[in-house]
Amino acid sequence: MNTPIARYLGFTGFAILVFMLLLAILGPFIVPYDPNELIAPAFQPPSWSYLLGTNDIGQDIFSELIMSARVSLLVGVVSALIATLFGVIAGLVAGYFGGWAETILMRLVDVKLTLPFLPLMIVVAVFLGPGLITQILVIALVIWAPMARELRSQVLTARRRGFVEAAEAIGAGGRYILRRHLLPNVTPLIIPQFVRAANTGILMETSLSFLGLGDPTVKSWGMMLFYANSRSAFLTDAWLWWLLPPGICITLSVLSFSLLGYALEERVRPRLRTSWRFGASERSANKVRPLKREPQEQDPESPEPLLSVQQLSVEYVTANGAIRAVDSVSFSVRRGEVLGIVGESGSGKTTMAAALMQLLKPPGRLTGGRMLFAGNDLASLDAAELKRLRNNRIALIPQAAMNALNPVYTVQKQLVEAILAHQKIRRSEARIRANHLLQLVGITPDRARAYPHELSGGMRQRVVIAIALANNPSLVIADEPTTGLDVIVQAEILELLTDLQSRLELAMIFISHDLSVVLSVADRIAIMLEGKIVDQSSVNSGVFHPNHPYSQRLQAALPRLKSKHTIPFS
Amino acid sequence: MHISGVRTRGRSFSSRRLFIRISQYILVVCVALTINFTLPRLAPGDPLNYILGDEANSLNAEQRQQIYRELGLDRSVLQQYGDYLLGTLTFDLGDSIRFGRPVSEILVERLPWTVLMIGPAIILSALLGIVLGALAAWKRGKAGDASLLTGMIILESMPSFWIGMLLIAVFAVNLGWFPSFGAVPFTGTEGGLAYFVEVARRLVLPVTTITLATIGSNFLLTRASMLNTLGEDYVQMAEAKGLSERAVLFQHALRNALLPVYTNVTLSLGALVSGAVTVETVFAYPGVGRLLYESVLARDYPLLQGVFLLITIGVIAANVLADLTYPLLDPRARSGTRSEVS
Repeated sequence: MNTPIARYLGFTGFAILVFMLLLAILGPFIVPYDPNELIAPAFQPPSWSYLLGTNDIGQDIFSELIMSARVSLLVGVVSALIATLFGVIAGLVAGYFGGWAETILMRLVDVKLTLPFLPLMIVVAVFLGPGLITQILVIALVIWAPMARELRSQVLTARRRGFVEAAEAIGAGGRYILRRHLLPNVTPLIIPQFVRAANTGILMETSLSFLGLGDPTVKSWGMMLFYANSRSAFLTDAWLWWLLPPGICITLSVLSFSLLGYALEERVRPRLRTSWRFGASERSANKVRPLKREPQEQDPESPEPLLSVQQLSVEYVTANGAIRAVDSVSFSVRRGEVLGIVGESGSGKTTMAAALMQLLKPPGRLTGGRMLFAGNDLASLDAAELKRLRNNRIALIPQAAMNALNPVYTVQKQLVEAILAHQKIRRSEARIRANHLLQLVGITPDRARAYPHELSGGMRQRVVIAIALANNPSLVIADEPTTGLDVIVQAEILELLTDLQSRLELAMIFISHDLSVVLSVADRIAIMLEGKIVDQSSVNSGVFHPNHPYSQRLQAALPRLKSKHTIPFS
Repeated sequence: MHISGVRTRGRSFSSRRLFIRISQYILVVCVALTINFTLPRLAPGDPLNYILGDEANSLNAEQRQQIYRELGLDRSVLQQYGDYLLGTLTFDLGDSIRFGRPVSEILVERLPWTVLMIGPAIILSALLGIVLGALAAWKRGKAGDASLLTGMIILESMPSFWIGMLLIAVFAVNLGWFPSFGAVPFTGTEGGLAYFVEVARRLVLPVTTITLATIGSNFLLTRASMLNTLGEDYVQMAEAKGLSERAVLFQHALRNALLPVYTNVTLSLGALVSGAVTVETVFAYPGVGRLLYESVLARDYPLLQGVFLLITIGVIAANVLADLTYPLLDPRARSGTRSEVS
């Protein structure tokens, strides 16, 4: 279930790795000379008899290179295996048993991660004496810690899943749960961890060997570079055939593990998937024709609606074909009118709002229809025209307004920014205007310098409304503006919105899944179902006349304080 | 309908967190000291060999006993440990076998060179990595992003010292643009413009090497972090406000994406110092890293331990710097201001 690019990268990594492993296994059978034998004059350039030339004492570099594959890969892979084993055990124990075992292990991990790893390896290696075993041990010692930490957090996540808690509730023993429920869940994560460890292991072997801490009796790519450096390979042209090949082999081996790790990790964590589209321009599909003029101010008396949406369609392109989120939707909004759009989650309401603001992000794209705002098609605006339109003419109060404020800026700054994007005034004037706007939505100016996290959810929602009104737009799209707030705050925000709407004579599209909320604010209502508008009707004092069976059922489901069949008091 | 600002002072965990942090750092230094103390005593052979080097082999039994007493090696392990800690606190790290001088003196001489080399490299690598990572994330999925990503992954797979060797071969030996050896010119006097130019020229290749070796991780992290923040609601909101593409990208998305990158850059100082060991070795640069290599070659144990301790303290200093400066970037990390009321 990988994306094609990940499959491609994974395959490339796998192919390189197989090639390197073959070199390592078949090495002794395919080398032309004994790499330790002095077979030729020093510094022979590459030729048919010496494919990569010879070094300063006349050894065949090609043979050295192939024989080195064994040691380099062996040290990298074996130390990664040992580190994985320790990391998994430590992570499982810490994550599952918790308590003092977790405290001690995680402390150890923290210490390990803070200590500078290469100097630590060097110090330990010097005292243990150089050699392959030493190398493997010190590398494993250094790389187990991050794996333990990662696995612990995975175990903690897995433990909170329902089935593990259920197993605990029916009295399953700790070891049983560990073996039957946790290990199978965590195992897929161990493989990418191991691959990454092998990647690090090879690089560390290289560094250690380069510093003269490798086994002097065998050769690895790092050792080759050590000799090349200590015997100043640069001073002759020999560097071309003496330095390049071992470095390229190391890079390729590490790269093969990196690519494999990337592919494996994407398989485990689908969120990392990126859709790759080469050459295609994102917005080209949206362009109908470039329009160089401003959306024109419209005669208020004109019968033309402010916004007229005709046959609008939006699709999401997925691996399994296109999904039509908005399907030939048509509606219009007049000046000062509130259009309520009601639909369950997934009915395409938010996608439609994004399309109106031209905020659709791939893989979503506009596939048909027109959105005429004051006579101009929104889809045909270029970047500069869009910039002038957004917030200035059409403003958005986005869904989940709680997260719509940037956490690192004060609310005043975020308001000022919106004002200055459209009005040519001084920053100090913009600040005064920002404070007015805050007052307008019921926030005292002394909170202007507060950061979003210092405000309550309701207050953040008010700030977002203030931003939407900052440039006197003629149309406001409010996408679920009260969702996520508690009932009392919801009522306050609704009151604020309707009050501002009538005072500022705003046209508004009010999107919600809550029919009763929409009925209390809307002049007209449209019911959305599976990307289509199935019903449109006007609302008179909180009542509308459904035609479609779906909207009839919706209306019937409304809780009523006054029932038609009043129960007489006895 | 006015709601007065209710400043709710949430429980601040900062003092508790500070305590955990500090105890963590003390623990790390203790572990480093303990490693230094135990290794020579656990390693095979006479500990005198680790203190005096080969000279120890020429001593007779009586002389050995005398030195044992002088160095306190005949006392109990705990007493020795106490002596060792006390000595370290007073910057007495023993004498270098190779140089025959106090270790602390040598460290003080070498440290400025490493700082001079690593400082510009960190700044360059962070700036380039962040800008390129942000652009790649913005143009995600396009050819430019794909080629940058591939290039950075390949760069990440190269041993840093090998990059250095290639740079020497090309730019120092073949083209002759920059010197590749040492930090100061052999001839000429210290001071003066010409001297500084020479020092700067000798910095170019090592700084480039470390920049290239570390830019990949900054790039990859920024790109991943940007991809996260680009999906955030406040970025969409910034776009909906009618801000320019550049303002949305840099002031909103990148500003937040930088938070983990900043932590990574400060914390990667440890890895950087490690990288400096091999890179300084390649360039024969007289910094702390090269000193570590020299002490390995000469099996100069007191010097080796001194360098290890110094680098550990340097890494902890970087951690403290990260802890202290992070709240400047993230208002949510400033103490006394957190509240979650809805």
